[in-house]
Amino acid sequence: MNRPIIDMKGIFKRFYIGTPNELEILHGLDISVPEGQFVSIVGASGSGKSTLMNIVGALDRQTEGKYVLDGIDVSKLDDTELSGIRNKKIGFVFQTFNLISRTSALKNVELPMLYAGVPAKERTKRAKELLEIVEMTDRASHMPNELSGGQKQRIAIARAMANDPAIILADEPTGALDSKTGRLVMDLFHKLHKEKGKTIVLITHNPELAEETDRIITLSDGRIISDRMTDKEAAE
Amino acid sequence: MNLIENIKLAFASLKSNKMRALLTMLGIIIGVSSVIMINTLGSIMENSVTDTFDSQGGSNLIGFQITMKKDAARDYLMPDDFISEEMIESVEQRFADDINVVSVMYGSENGTTRHKRETLDLVIYGVSPGYIKQSMTEVIAGRYINDKDIRKGGKVCAISNKQAIKLYGSVKDAIGQTLSIKMYGSMYDFTVVGVYEYRMTGMMSAMVNAMGEDWNNEVYIPYTTLSEMYGETDPTFYYFYVHINDGVDAESFASDVKNYMNNRYYRNNDSIEIFYQTAEAQMSMMSQVLGVVSMVISVIAGISLVVGGIGVMNIMLVSVTERTREIGVRKALGAPNSAIRSQFIIESIIICLIGGLIGIIFGVLLGNLIGIIVGTMASPSVGAILLAVSFSMAIGIFFGYYPANRAAKLDPIEALRYE
Repeated sequence: MNRPIIDMKGIFKRFYIGTPNELEILHGLDISVPEGQFVSIVGASGSGKSTLMNIVGALDRQTEGKYVLDGIDVSKLDDTELSGIRNKKIGFVFQTFNLISRTSALKNVELPMLYAGVPAKERTKRAKELLEIVEMTDRASHMPNELSGGQKQRIAIARAMANDPAIILADEPTGALDSKTGRLVMDLFHKLHKEKGKTIVLITHNPELAEETDRIITLSDGRIISDRMTDKEAAE
Repeated sequence: MNLIENIKLAFASLKSNKMRALLTMLGIIIGVSSVIMINTLGSIMENSVTDTFDSQGGSNLIGFQITMKKDAARDYLMPDDFISEEMIESVEQRFADDINVVSVMYGSENGTTRHKRETLDLVIYGVSPGYIKQSMTEVIAGRYINDKDIRKGGKVCAISNKQAIKLYGSVKDAIGQTLSIKMYGSMYDFTVVGVYEYRMTGMMSAMVNAMGEDWNNEVYIPYTTLSEMYGETDPTFYYFYVHINDGVDAESFASDVKNYMNNRYYRNNDSIEIFYQTAEAQMSMMSQVLGVVSMVISVIAGISLVVGGIGVMNIMLVSVTERTREIGVRKALGAPNSAIRSQFIIESIIICLIGGLIGIIFGVLLGNLIGIIVGTMASPSVGAILLAVSFSMAIGIFFGYYPANRAAKLDPIEALRYE
């Protein structure tokens, strides 16, 4: 088994700490994801999926426990270091695409590299390569409002890949798409997984999509109720 | 994330909301343009004061007049208190090497003359030959009042070119004509010996032009002639002017003359003495007044800049709220707080700078528009432009910081969830 990219031990997350409304959302999760795995996290709303995703994505810190991402203990980092982690180690793909409006597709893909301090020429070159991977080269100069949902999501995936992150964190990436374009996006993830060996974390409530991945972690009420390899993985 | 990227970003953001950007800038534009306009006007006024000053003999002109002593015994004047012709003559002799010319104006009188069926108003000045040096006039035909006229108390006069044309058809035809002036109910006939023209620049000439012919109705006659009409055989003066030669130190000359006159003529006077004022001192006083005026207006303009700055802050806050989600996305993609902060501060600075530049252009244009009307052109000082630019930048930073900081401190999770 490959070395773990995500290594979480005893992750607790509580809100409103010290108030009568104190709320524990995650009750001590242990998750380990090896490099190159395509894992899906499923669960009903309110199961703690989003909270977990925020912690995995270094947008939020756990209240208790240890999270090592690609060999770095994230719990010890300050805000600026956390943004560095988000920038270089994580590629976000959102349900609502979240492209920066009035900014061309190419510039959107360049954005994470901009914050990483990549020189302009190199940025543009790499962004063009990424657009080629997601087959959006001809839309490079288009603004987000000139693109369809599926096209937007492909740009967003190219953007997520910009700094060659350790994991791609996709939060309901097909949730806002019709089944046909959703299919195309899923195919793109499979392609990145197979061809580039990317570690992908897919958050979804669609069990069919989850079945396509290597492994399914099911959350309920802030606890892991099931963590299994899919048939597909077993078959291989 | 470097500066150029931030500047590009700021421009892109402003471009996407042009109308709002312009309206936001308006406060800054008005503030800066009024500062620059005031400054341009200040230069124009100063230029014209300097012009007037130079045309009156510049720093070579010194005025002497009688004044109350500090420990004056009286609070009214006696005939002996005035400056006599003898005193002036003795000063002229004593300081002959330093003096170019002495000028006196004995007094002025209103009079009228008949022309065709019209009654024209005139102002008659009793002057010495030297007076032309400070009267902002120049003789263009014939001659001015001369020493012989003074001695004889001759009925001669110098009139303006406009009067000459009006009364006699042309400047040349005026020479030798007889001008009948009614003063004190009596008629006096004067021979026109010269025609003068106003030599004025700047605000003075603008004022003269604005007032039309009223300013060209001055008639100069020998002061001796005027005093004779009053029945005063020995004319005395309240003040006189001295034009000194080039290279003579005005200040030390003036104090020498003052001491000479006070020792010689006013030592035994219980209330009156001579005091002097150099043109330079007058000039600096005027400049000071101008300085205070433009300072006050600048402060008011400064307040409007601050108000403009608050407008910028307001719009930046709106912009931050509107772009909450974008800020969340940027943060998720790895933008540190500092990058978000500088993005918004630079946007605010750019708004203020563009506003400032437009303001400078408007200010210079407006200032010079007034300058054209007044007849003197001027540009604002480089210092004022630099000040305006740096002040608008400072406003951008000051009023942009709070919204930018608010953007920087947004929680990325909350920001991403923002609808």
